[in-house]
Amino acid sequence: MLDTVVTVLTTGLTNGALYALATIGLSLVWGSMGMFNMAHGAMLALGGYLTFTVCTQLGLPLPVAVIAAVAGGALFGVLLYLVVVQRLLARSTEHFETSVMIATAGISIALEEALLVAFGGQPLKQPFTVSGNLHLGQSVVPLLDLADVVIALIVMGLTYWFLSGTKMGRAIRATAQNRDAAVLMGVPVQRIFLQALAISGALAGICGVLMSSVTQLTPWFGDDPMLKAFIMCVVAGLGNLPGAIAASFCLAIIEAAVEFLAGARWGFPALLFIVIAILIWRPAGLFGRSQIRRL
Amino acid sequence: MVNFIKDRSSRWTLPADAWIGLLVIIIAVAVPFVIQSRYLLGEVILALIWAGVASQWNLLFGYAGVFSLAPMAFFAFGAYATAMLSYYLGWSVWLSIPAGAIVSIPFSLIIGLACLRLEGVYVALLTFAVAQMMYLLIVTDTGCFQQIGGSCVQFTGGATGFSDFGDFGMRPLLHQYWMIGNYAVVCCGAFLTMLVSWIVIRSPMGLAFRAIRDNPGYAMARGVNRFRTHLLVFGISAFFIGLLGGLYAVHFQAIGPTVFSLSQLLFVIASVVVGGVGSFWGPLLGAVVLTGADEFLSDFGEYRSLGLGLIITAFVVFLPRGLVGEIVHLFALWRRKRQSHV
Repeated sequence: MLDTVVTVLTTGLTNGALYALATIGLSLVWGSMGMFNMAHGAMLALGGYLTFTVCTQLGLPLPVAVIAAVAGGALFGVLLYLVVVQRLLARSTEHFETSVMIATAGISIALEEALLVAFGGQPLKQPFTVSGNLHLGQSVVPLLDLADVVIALIVMGLTYWFLSGTKMGRAIRATAQNRDAAVLMGVPVQRIFLQALAISGALAGICGVLMSSVTQLTPWFGDDPMLKAFIMCVVAGLGNLPGAIAASFCLAIIEAAVEFLAGARWGFPALLFIVIAILIWRPAGLFGRSQIRRL
Repeated sequence: MVNFIKDRSSRWTLPADAWIGLLVIIIAVAVPFVIQSRYLLGEVILALIWAGVASQWNLLFGYAGVFSLAPMAFFAFGAYATAMLSYYLGWSVWLSIPAGAIVSIPFSLIIGLACLRLEGVYVALLTFAVAQMMYLLIVTDTGCFQQIGGSCVQFTGGATGFSDFGDFGMRPLLHQYWMIGNYAVVCCGAFLTMLVSWIVIRSPMGLAFRAIRDNPGYAMARGVNRFRTHLLVFGISAFFIGLLGGLYAVHFQAIGPTVFSLSQLLFVIASVVVGGVGSFWGPLLGAVVLTGADEFLSDFGEYRSLGLGLIITAFVVFLPRGLVGEIVHLFALWRRKRQSHV
């Protein structure tokens, strides 16, 4: 019994920490500019492959490789803003939500196919790894999972500090709360959007490295976590960061429990039923402020 | 103001639609006489199937404003239902295709009841998740349902899917011209689909769809029920998408979980985006152009999907009206210029 609980909690907490990192990246961009970034999954893969290239193929030390993944993700976010998002934002606010979703879905498949052409489809081994196990009574906890959770928590802490403690973070939160008011107070929202996408890309980079360390590195490994991260964002209420983190951990533990009890194929359906039930009960999400929408 | 312009354009397109329709029918009849290659005719059949699916997705997204990412889920549902009825019960495909289309309706209504209470991106996300769930449940199905010749057949066909469950029976009828028979059947299906799209768009129902898309508050105040209207358009589109799915499965005599892949979904969306969102002829033009582009890109093998992704993004960013929208826009500019000269 205790073994089961430890196994479920280990899987749940590890996945929860990784989903939480992914949801923060998505939620940040949604909160500040109302954009659903369908390319986030491909950006996770980009981070994983950058680490693989720099560390395994070029032979540079691992920390450099991880920094390369973070920088590459941020750069991709900047490019995404300059080439796609900026033009769509300038055109119309009414159709922005749907058109940016279609545009980023196109980017997503293009980036994944580019990775497939460059690296091939066979699963690769992520160089970021920690060997060894921690023995808790009779159950075994891999140290790699622990390391992932610790790093994810550190990154979350840094993000929290950045959003609450720095001037740039305050400007991002102001823009998310009320874009018009932020513009009137002299916040350069264009630059804020750029920064939000860059940070989201950087988070995707590190998240991709951690995620591919517990699974395998393929061009489309990010799609499934991205979809689950979307679901967790929605359950929490889009744009609510602390809520997103809480929802990630809760849903990941539920998913792990269902997968352990009923078999791995029922994890995702269980998540989906929970999110549909929650959205029928509370359409704005668990922690979302229900807003009066002007029609 | 926007509505006023739309009204004028709809009065203008009414006779134009009839002329374009006639032209399209003439081309459709001429195609099997002009194209001798069986391979090329197969590509035309595929383009017609995608054109039909895209025209229904256009009805959903372009006219009713339901951003559903589940068209391939209904397509797969119709295709799998057709395949399973013929495979397990031995039904003739002429019976199982309409049956597959009909059972797609209750399936879509169940999904609609769960997803359509919400709006916009939430609908997109949930429908996308439903399609992904179906895919995962089918691929991970390992329980044996039937033993056939020592190999195990899963209830849903598992990762391999179904094959050899029957065909249109054109080979004994038309001998080496059997592909033309398949073409005729698929052509009728696509024609029916587009005809019903047109009728729906021009009917009071279509007006309600557009009213809700353009001004939900005013439409609701005039007594249009958003949820019920969206559920209705969901059911209509699921029937025809399921029908085309059945035709697809029987034409290829195979159906597998690859229909759920993101690139298939993007192909449908791209047909609408390239042709023009909310224009009746857009999806047909888009599907034909994209199938042609796909054929051209297939020489480059692995860059095929990459090109598709970039085309979608480029159209959304640079040509949001799509090809048909640009043509209509240029025509309107030209007319205005001519009138100002007079």
